[in-house]
Amino acid sequence: MSANQPASLGAAAVRPLRAPVQVNWQRLNTIAIALLAIGLIGLVAALGAGQADRVWQTWLVNLLYFMGIAQAGVVCSCAFYLVQGRWAGSVPYRLAESFWLFLPLAVVLFAGVFIGRDHIFPWITHPLPPNRTVWLNVPFLFARDGAALLIMALLSAWFVGASRGPDAVRWTNSASDIEMPPPALRRLAPIIAILYCFTYSLFAFDLVMSLSPQWHSTLFGWWFFATCFWSAAVAMAFSAVQFRRLLGPGNAFTAPTILHDYGKLVFAFSVFWIYLSFAQYLVIWYGDFPAETFFLLVRLWHAPWSPLGWLAPILIWVVPFTVLMSVRSKKTPRILGTVAVLGLIGVWDLYYILIVPALSPNKLPFGWVELCVTAGFLGAFILCALPGLRIVASAAAPGADGGE
Amino acid sequence: MSDGIALISTFSSDDECAQGIEALHRAHVHDFSAFAPFPSEKILEATSEARGQGRSPVRWWVLTGGITGILTAIALTVGTSYEWNLNVGGRPIASIPPYIIIMFELMILMGGLSGLLGFLFHSCLPAFDSAAGYRSRFGADKFGLVVRCAENEVSRLESLLRDAGAEDIAREAVITQGVPSHH
Amino acid sequence: MAAAVETNLQPSYIDIDRNVQRAMAPGGLKYWLWVAFCAFLTALGMIFWTNQIYKGLGVTGYGQPNMWAVYITDFVFWVGIAHSGTLISAILFLFRVRWRTAVYRCAETMTVFAVLTAGLFPLIHLGRVWFFYWCVPYPNERFLQPDFRSPLVWDFFAISTYLTISTVFLFTGLIPDLANAREVSTGWRKTLYTILSFGWQGTDRQWRNFSMVYLLLAGFATPLVLSVHSVVSWDFAMTQLPGWHSTIFAPYFVAGAIFSGCGLVLTLIIPMRKLMKIEDLVTIWHLDNLAKVVLLTSLIITYSYATESFMVWYTQDPIEIMTFNQRYYGPQGYLFWMMVACNCAIPLLLFIPRIRTNTVCLFIISIFVNIGMWLERFVIIAGSLATNTEPSQWRFYVPKLTEVVITVGSFGWFLMNFSLFAKFMPIVSMTELKEGIGWLRHAVRETYPYRKAA
Repeated sequence: MSANQPASLGAAAVRPLRAPVQVNWQRLNTIAIALLAIGLIGLVAALGAGQADRVWQTWLVNLLYFMGIAQAGVVCSCAFYLVQGRWAGSVPYRLAESFWLFLPLAVVLFAGVFIGRDHIFPWITHPLPPNRTVWLNVPFLFARDGAALLIMALLSAWFVGASRGPDAVRWTNSASDIEMPPPALRRLAPIIAILYCFTYSLFAFDLVMSLSPQWHSTLFGWWFFATCFWSAAVAMAFSAVQFRRLLGPGNAFTAPTILHDYGKLVFAFSVFWIYLSFAQYLVIWYGDFPAETFFLLVRLWHAPWSPLGWLAPILIWVVPFTVLMSVRSKKTPRILGTVAVLGLIGVWDLYYILIVPALSPNKLPFGWVELCVTAGFLGAFILCALPGLRIVASAAAPGADGGE
Repeated sequence: MSDGIALISTFSSDDECAQGIEALHRAHVHDFSAFAPFPSEKILEATSEARGQGRSPVRWWVLTGGITGILTAIALTVGTSYEWNLNVGGRPIASIPPYIIIMFELMILMGGLSGLLGFLFHSCLPAFDSAAGYRSRFGADKFGLVVRCAENEVSRLESLLRDAGAEDIAREAVITQGVPSHH
Repeated sequence: MAAAVETNLQPSYIDIDRNVQRAMAPGGLKYWLWVAFCAFLTALGMIFWTNQIYKGLGVTGYGQPNMWAVYITDFVFWVGIAHSGTLISAILFLFRVRWRTAVYRCAETMTVFAVLTAGLFPLIHLGRVWFFYWCVPYPNERFLQPDFRSPLVWDFFAISTYLTISTVFLFTGLIPDLANAREVSTGWRKTLYTILSFGWQGTDRQWRNFSMVYLLLAGFATPLVLSVHSVVSWDFAMTQLPGWHSTIFAPYFVAGAIFSGCGLVLTLIIPMRKLMKIEDLVTIWHLDNLAKVVLLTSLIITYSYATESFMVWYTQDPIEIMTFNQRYYGPQGYLFWMMVACNCAIPLLLFIPRIRTNTVCLFIISIFVNIGMWLERFVIIAGSLATNTEPSQWRFYVPKLTEVVITVGSFGWFLMNFSLFAKFMPIVSMTELKEGIGWLRHAVRETYPYRKAA
C-alpha cells in the first residue's frame, strides 16, 4: 500500500478511511460510451439502408433483455427483504439493485417500439377481427404498457432509495433474526414483487406473444418473468465474480459462501426455468393443436432457426445444471463466471428466437445491424449500471461495513 | 484393539466436546467415538479433522442409484414401446418427452432408496448391541466422548479430558470378543 | 405469547425432550373417543365402498360425460395436501429457514398419510378395482404393457415414488428421535421404538452419514414435489378439453397444493399445539411464517385464475369462451364464486399482522382455504367435463350419498392415522430443536414486534 502513502499529515486526515477500490471505472465508462456510439451510428446507418425491420425487432429484443435484468434485479432485492436474508450484510442488496437506473431509460426507449411498431407487430399491418382488436390495438397497447413501465420505474426508484437509506443498511447488518425490515421496505417489497409478476406477464403477452397472434400459452407470462429473474441472477453472479477479482484482497466477495450462494441461485432458477419450459413443451406436444405447435416447430425443428432455438435451453439449463452441480464449481470464480456469461448470451438468444422468427420465419437475419443495436443497448446499460456498481464496490471494499 | 479401558466422558456443550476431540487429536489418540443428541457441526468438524475423513460416502450410493433409475426407466419405457409397437396418436414409437417423466421419477425413487441403504450400511445399522460407552443421556442432553486406551494411559487422558471440560469420567473395562466396534 | 401457565423462556435440551415426551403420554378418554370417531367414519366409508364395488359405479352420480368427478377431486385434493409437508420439511431445509424445525415433523407426517389417502382414490374410482395391477409394468400373457405416454401411468410412477420417498424421508428423520424415546419408555413402547430406531446411538460416524443422507433426500424431495403435482395436473392438461388444456396447469397446481397443504397444517397444528401443550415449541412466530406461505401461494392462485380468464378472452376461442361462461355463470357458477372468495379474497386478510398472529383467525381462515381448494378441484374437473364440446351430452354432476360418505370417510381415515401417529411418535423433532436451540430461545423470548406495538 506504499503507493497510497499520503504526502502529508493533512492529506492523511482528509483521505477517506476506506481502502481505495481498484476497479477502473474510467475505462468501463469509455467502453460503454464507445459501444453506445457504435449503436447510434449503426442505428442510423441501418435505417438509412432500409433495414428498418431488423432494427426495430432487435430494438425490442434488447429492450426486453436489459429491462428484464434491471427490473428483476430490483425484485431480487425485494425477495431478499421478504425472506429477511441477512447472510452477507448489505452487499447482496446493493448488487441486486445496481442495474436499476436502466428502468427510467427503458421508459424512454419504449418510444422506439412505438416508432417501429409497423415493423414489429403483425396485427397492425394485418388487422385482426374486431373482437380481438379490442385488446390488440395501438393506442391501448402502448398506453397500458407505457403506464406499466412508468409505474414500475417509479416504484423501483422509491424502493432503491429506501433500500440504500441508513435504516435499511443498519437492518441488513443487524444480528437479530426476528427484527423486521424498515416499514417502507416492508410495504414496498411485496408490492413491487406482485406488480412485477403482473406487469412482466403483461409485457410477455403484449410484446412477445402477440407477435404470433394465433398462438397462446397461459404459462408464457410466468415463464417470461422467471426468465428475466434468472437473467438478473446470472448478471449478479457475473458481477460478483468480477468484483471478487478486481476489488482488493479481503473484499466482501471473497467470503467463502457468497459465490456459493450466487451459484445456488443460478442453479436453482435454471432448473425452475427448464421445468416451466418443459411444462409448456409437453402440453403443446401432447395436444398437437396446429395453432399451438407451429410456434415450437418454427423455432426448434425447422431450419433456419432450430440451431439457435436449441442453443437457448443448452446455455440456460444444460450448461449451468451439469457444470454447477458440485459445490466446488459453484465456489470457483472462473467456472461461475463462464457459466454466467454463457447464460447471459443464452437469454439474449432466447429473446431473439422468441421475437424474430414470428416476423421472419424462413430467414435468419442476424448480422451487423443486430450487433450494432445490441452494442448500443449494452453501452447504455453499462452507463446506467455504473453508479449502482460503484456503490456495490464501496460497500464490498475490504474494511467497509458491508463486508462482515 | 486390545483389552483395555474405555473412558466415558460427559460434556454439557458441544464446544467442550469438540475441544476434547481436538485435544485427543493433538495427543495422537485416535481410538475414540463421540456421541451427541444432534448433529453438532463443531463435533463433526473436529472428528473429521482428527480422523482425516472426507464427506460421507453415502452420496456415491445416491448417485449410483439415481443413474440406475434413469437407465432402468429408459430400458423399461423404450423397451416395452418397441416390444408392443403401436402407433398411438401419431407419436413416435419411443416418444421421449413423456418418457422423461418416468426417467425422472425412477431416478428419484432408486436414488432415495439407495441412499437409505447406504446410510444404514455405513452407520452399521441396525445395531443389535449397545456401543461401548453409550449412555442414554447422550441421546438427551449430554455429549459423550468415549476413548479406548491401555491401562497406563488412563491418567494422562483423564486429565486431558478434564481440561477440555469433561464433567464426569467413568471407566469401563473393554472386553474384545468379536463385539462389532461402532466405527 | 403462549397460553401455558409457566412460559419457559430459556428451554434447555431436557425441556425440549420432556415437552415432546409429555405429548406422547398415553392418551386419555377424549383422545380415544376422537380416534374411535375417526375410525367410525373410516368404517362407514369402507362399507359404502364395498357396496360400490359390488353394485358398480352406478350408485354414484357418475355418468357420461362426468367420468371424473368427486373421487378425482378428492385424489387431487389429498395429493395437494401432501405437498406442503414436503415443502416445509425438504425445501425449507435446503434454504435453512429457521422456523421450519418445530412444524416440519407434523407436516411430513401429514404428507405421508395424505399420499396414502390419495392413493386410495384411483382405486375407488375404478369400476373393476381388482384389475388395478394392470398399471404395473410386468411381463404378462396379455402381451400388453402400460402406455408410458399416458399421464395416468406417469401418475402411478409419480405417486408411488412420492409415497416411498416421503416415508423414507420421514422415517430417516425419526430415527434419532425414536432412539431418544426408546431410552425413556418402558414395556411394549420400548420394544417398538427399539426396533424402529435400528439401534441408533448417535455416534459421530452415524451423524455424519445421517446429515448427508438427509440433505440428499431433501434435495431429491424438492424436485419430486414439483414433479408429482405437475404430473397430477397433466392428467388434465394433456387432454384437449377446453378448460383443461392449458400450459399453466403444472406450476399453478403445485402452488395450489402448497396452499391447501399449508392450510391443513394450520388447521391441524393450531388445536394440536394447545391439546398437546407444545405451545412453547410451536410458537406464534412459527404460525405467522406459515401464514405468510399461505398468503404467497394464494396470490399465485389469484394470478393463475386471472391469467386463465384473460387468455380465454384474449384468444376469443368460442368453445373456450363457452366453457368459461358456464364456469362463471352456469348452473354451478356459485361454486366458482365461493372458490374465488375462499382462495383469493379471504387470504388477503393475512396481509394484516394482527390477523396472522391470532390463532383463532388463522384457524378459521385455514378452514376456508381447505374448502376453497376442494371447490377449485371440483370446479375444474367436474365443471369442465359437464359442458364439453357436445351440447347434447351436457350434464351437470351432482354427487350422491356414496361419494359424500366416501369423501368424509377419507378424512376420517387420514385423521385417524395422523392422530395415532401423533400420539405414539414424536410429533415435533427433538433433534432439530436441540440443534437450533439458540433460535428457539430467541423465538420464545423475543417479544414479537407486532405484539410490542399492540
